[in-house]
Amino acid sequence: MSRFLQASRPVLGWISRVSLYLSGIGLVAMTAIVGWQVFARYVLNDTPSWSEPLSLHLMSWFIMLGAAVGVRESVHLGLDFVRHGASPAAKRTMDLVSLGLMVFFGLAMTWYSVLLAAGTWAASIPVLGWPGGVDFFPMIAGGVLIAIFSAERFVDVAAGEHTAADIIAQEVV
Amino acid sequence: QEITLRSADIHPDGYPTVDAVKYMGQLLSERTNGRIKIDVTNNAALGSEKDTIEQTRFGVIDMNRVNAAPFNNLVPQTVVLGLPFLFRSTEHMHKTVDGPIGDEILAAFEPHGLVGLAFYDSGARSFYTTKKPIEKLADLQGMKIRVQQSDLWIAMMEAFGANATPMPFGEVYSSLETGVVDGAENNWPSYESSRHFEVSKNYTLTEHSLNPEILVISKVSWDKLSPDDQKLVRAAAKDSVGKMRELWQAREKDSEEKVRAAGVNVITVDKAEFADAMKPVYDKFVTDPQMKDLLERIRAIN
Amino acid sequence: MAYSVLFGVFTVLMMIGMPIAFCLGIASLATVLYIGLPPIVVFQQLNSGMNVFAMMAIPFFIFAGDLMVRGGIADRLIRFAAGIVGHLRGGLGQVNIVASTLFGGISGSAVADASAVGGLMIPQMAARGYDRSYAVNVTVNAAIIALMIPPSHNMILYSIAAGGNVSVADLFTAGIIPGLLLAGALMITAYIVARRRGYPSEPFPGFRKLAYYLLASVPGLLLIGIIFGGVRSGIFTATESSCIAVFYALLVALLVYRELDWSGFVEAVLQAVRTTAMVLLVIGTAASFSWLMSFLQVQQLLVAAMSAISDNPIIVLLMINVILLVLGTFMDMAPMVIISTPILLPVVKAFGIDPVHFGVVMILNAGIGLNTPPVGTVLFVGCAVGKITIREAMRTIWPFFGASIAVLLLVTYVPALSLWLPSLFR
Ligand code: NA
Ligand code: NA
Repeated sequence: MSRFLQASRPVLGWISRVSLYLSGIGLVAMTAIVGWQVFARYVLNDTPSWSEPLSLHLMSWFIMLGAAVGVRESVHLGLDFVRHGASPAAKRTMDLVSLGLMVFFGLAMTWYSVLLAAGTWAASIPVLGWPGGVDFFPMIAGGVLIAIFSAERFVDVAAGEHTAADIIAQEVV
Repeated sequence: QEITLRSADIHPDGYPTVDAVKYMGQLLSERTNGRIKIDVTNNAALGSEKDTIEQTRFGVIDMNRVNAAPFNNLVPQTVVLGLPFLFRSTEHMHKTVDGPIGDEILAAFEPHGLVGLAFYDSGARSFYTTKKPIEKLADLQGMKIRVQQSDLWIAMMEAFGANATPMPFGEVYSSLETGVVDGAENNWPSYESSRHFEVSKNYTLTEHSLNPEILVISKVSWDKLSPDDQKLVRAAAKDSVGKMRELWQAREKDSEEKVRAAGVNVITVDKAEFADAMKPVYDKFVTDPQMKDLLERIRAIN
Repeated sequence: MAYSVLFGVFTVLMMIGMPIAFCLGIASLATVLYIGLPPIVVFQQLNSGMNVFAMMAIPFFIFAGDLMVRGGIADRLIRFAAGIVGHLRGGLGQVNIVASTLFGGISGSAVADASAVGGLMIPQMAARGYDRSYAVNVTVNAAIIALMIPPSHNMILYSIAAGGNVSVADLFTAGIIPGLLLAGALMITAYIVARRRGYPSEPFPGFRKLAYYLLASVPGLLLIGIIFGGVRSGIFTATESSCIAVFYALLVALLVYRELDWSGFVEAVLQAVRTTAMVLLVIGTAASFSWLMSFLQVQQLLVAAMSAISDNPIIVLLMINVILLVLGTFMDMAPMVIISTPILLPVVKAFGIDPVHFGVVMILNAGIGLNTPPVGTVLFVGCAVGKITIREAMRTIWPFFGASIAVLLLVTYVPALSLWLPSLFR
């Protein structure tokens, strides 16, 4: 078991870095598209109709990939005061419960997003013309990543190791 | 056992569509001694029209009152209803949806997890603009007009010569106010209730679309009803249509009065000039024989 | 009963330290399972919650703010601020507040403000003999000014949550006077505390140097005019202005100051991903949570309860302020604005309160909440930058809270402070 974990660590680190960079590329692309939208509407007086749906779709990828990386790097947008006062054993239990539920939530996200994608496949997305189900692809991928990264941290906490992340992001919004 | 059907609507309290579904609930309750009720959740509290359509299909909620436009990408037959200047008058639209064509379109929902119950009125949509009033077709040339994010509507604005500017409804007020867009289009009640008339004071009666509203019930909820209850629900829905039309006319008149009292400049135009510009829209969207046939039959009604 | 599952699960999960995005999502999922609805709706609403164009303002403004720091715009604003107010007693505290006000005029985010201004000012203040807690207190309270002075992505969120027919241009304009008032109140407080503690002042650089500092910071300051003017004149929408801010910050950093290189750009992009993706996920899961509140008709219960207590607008506004301050202690800004606006706006409208005015009150309230533990994001960032504990910061923060709350009450009960400026544009 522990050998499997050690072998998977670099792979997970790589997946997380790739997700982070893809998310960043998404942000840059969103900036370019919205900038073009303003330019085309105001200067060319010809509003692109694809810019809004496309940038929204990119934002979904941006959020899901970026948030999954956030799970791995334990960006905590949580409440820490109860945890802070708890004993190490209690803290460990809390973390296991919370990470276990996050694994479950990630899997549920993927499963129900697959159902949503299948159920909306026939309705096409206006303007882009893609099948409606494509809307849910970011959540299908994001759910899997969230489940994997939460599971990695779950195992770390259970084994008494500190954290899986390469970098601990200290800044939160 | 007791059944409460949850129905969604995006409009505020007192809007004719909301009150019509409530009225249908009242009829059902009376006819079943309170066994079947309808609970309307309005104000878009359950999400956008697109969201609630999916919720209805998946059986999260039971009923839904939505405009025909958001169904376009799901049920192709609904596209025809939104075609510009298709209906010559409100009576023509009523005759169409009250007859066999209406039933045919309602039946087309069934393969998509929905059962079509009734058509409601949505009035006529016309343009409103901020600075320059539209008095003839040429005035629309190059104007930034907000449209719904829909292929049909974008094509329609392009055919009018306008710069079709898709934008979420929530950003329209600010955009009209500051000049991001030059205008938008909607019916009297929405022009009034959205307060868009405060920031765009020219209303041009092009009446380019009479796209109706559609009331649907989830196939999941439908199949749970006994055949007798299904009949009762269908009948109550049909019976609410007359009441809806009454409510709609009153509301339209009321909104028009309010808006006129606010000093809006109402302009009448030669509609034929606008209608003639719509050929490219028909060429693009009425392609397969089935739709052509539907279109011909609607045009033949008099 | 179902709503006690919703709120109960949410509270318990938050207590055990689960990230709030998941608390909201899992509480919604649990409730849906409890009442027997198809769970699919939770994820549909999560998806819809993420598909809001206006939300793009959040990553864009954060990204722009980071580019401004890396590209040298923030340093020059601070140097200019130092030139204006550095010679006052406790001068660096005053500099911090003026710099926050200037930076707030080009950034939409209090967190960006706290990390930008705090990152540069707190070490300097500590080196000049100021207590670190004082430096952090000033930084985190002044950061709230960024929310009030346009641009402000939270004002955009409020407008969306209000259903869209509250003008963002008006909200932007309405925040200016309250924001300046807050700056003034904080400067007075900082001055009094500094006098009592005998903090030093800085030498006045002379008008010649001051003019040079002003000139050097003009490219940064111009962004205030570009954003405000661009939105008011309809060149772009408030949401799009955030994207324009990114382009402008890039332009200044690359072509004018030439302080940004490729690796700095990449770091800024990745930092923006790290800081905002999780916040946007919170907004997404908050949409599922709100959907359930609508489905369970929680809003109607609250409105009824509130109307039963009083029908006096002064009392109602006071109650709402207290509710918002309490909510603000444990909720982050964006979910709080998104969740509480649709609940409270109908109540205040019923009492004849203008939605633009209420928007300013709401943002100021939620802003104060950014500095109150247990969930006080700006306070946390300030403490991290200042390298002190939250407990240390809290011990001396009270005079600054006092000033913020005084401004809040003033803004609440004098609508003209918010509504007079937008009325000039009509
Ligand atoms: Na700002
Ligand atoms: Na707080």
